[in-house]
Amino acid sequence: MRIAIAGKGGSGKTTISGTLARLLAQAGRQVVAVDADTNPNLATTLGLQPERVQQIVSLPRSLLKRETQPDGSMLSTFLRDPLDVLDEYGARAPDGVRLIVMGAVGHGGAG
Amino acid sequence: MCGAHATVRGFLGELVAKSPDAFDIVVDMEAGLEHLSRGTGKHVSRFLAVVEPYFRSMETARRVADLARELGIGEVSAVLNKARNAADRDAVTAFCVTHQLKIVAEIPYDPALADAERIGQPPLDFSPRSPSIQAMRTLTDQLIAGG
Repeated sequence: MRIAIAGKGGSGKTTISGTLARLLAQAGRQVVAVDADTNPNLATTLGLQPERVQQIVSLPRSLLKRETQPDGSMLSTFLRDPLDVLDEYGARAPDGVRLIVMGAVGHGGAG
Repeated sequence: MCGAHATVRGFLGELVAKSPDAFDIVVDMEAGLEHLSRGTGKHVSRFLAVVEPYFRSMETARRVADLARELGIGEVSAVLNKARNAADRDAVTAFCVTHQLKIVAEIPYDPALADAERIGQPPLDFSPRSPSIQAMRTLTDQLIAGG
């Protein structure tokens, strides 16, 4: 299953996301948790130790090649094997959950 | 469109394409609304809007749910969080009925969560049998069962 959890800041969405991810993993499933919040703190809720949280490398934008087509639309190509990316960037959290953290969101022209 | 969101979306798209059933994916979305139009949730089958029992939270959940539906993001439903009493449950239930939003879980207000937050521990480890965690277990079982 692929679940997205949304809500206002402070609504408890990160607590629910992290706990669901761990419970799914405890049920024997392979779980990839994705922190797509611009203020990421899913790692702590999942139970990564502070020193491990510091070591997490967020997904670099260089993984995605983006070209403007002649008609003005954007063509995006993901450049790596997703399983290799999961191995390289997926932080190992308790119960075997793998955590992927979104890179910092740029401002102005990068948006 | 923002590069960081696009990269996550690209990764999820490739992962789902390559191994459609190998992984359960849980995405903690951005608090704001604009990420939805950027399509981070495009590869998602279930969309849960967390709603607290107060009006602005309900309004936000409704807008997020409407947007998710517009974009065709999976099955959209609500999770009531921090419900303290029947009045809380009734208010959110009435709101969700009006806006045709199904409530799939009710998580009670639980001081154990704040205690866990204070010391930076996962609630699941800090208080595995507290009422809020029990409600999340029920939700997990329900999601696994496909309900």
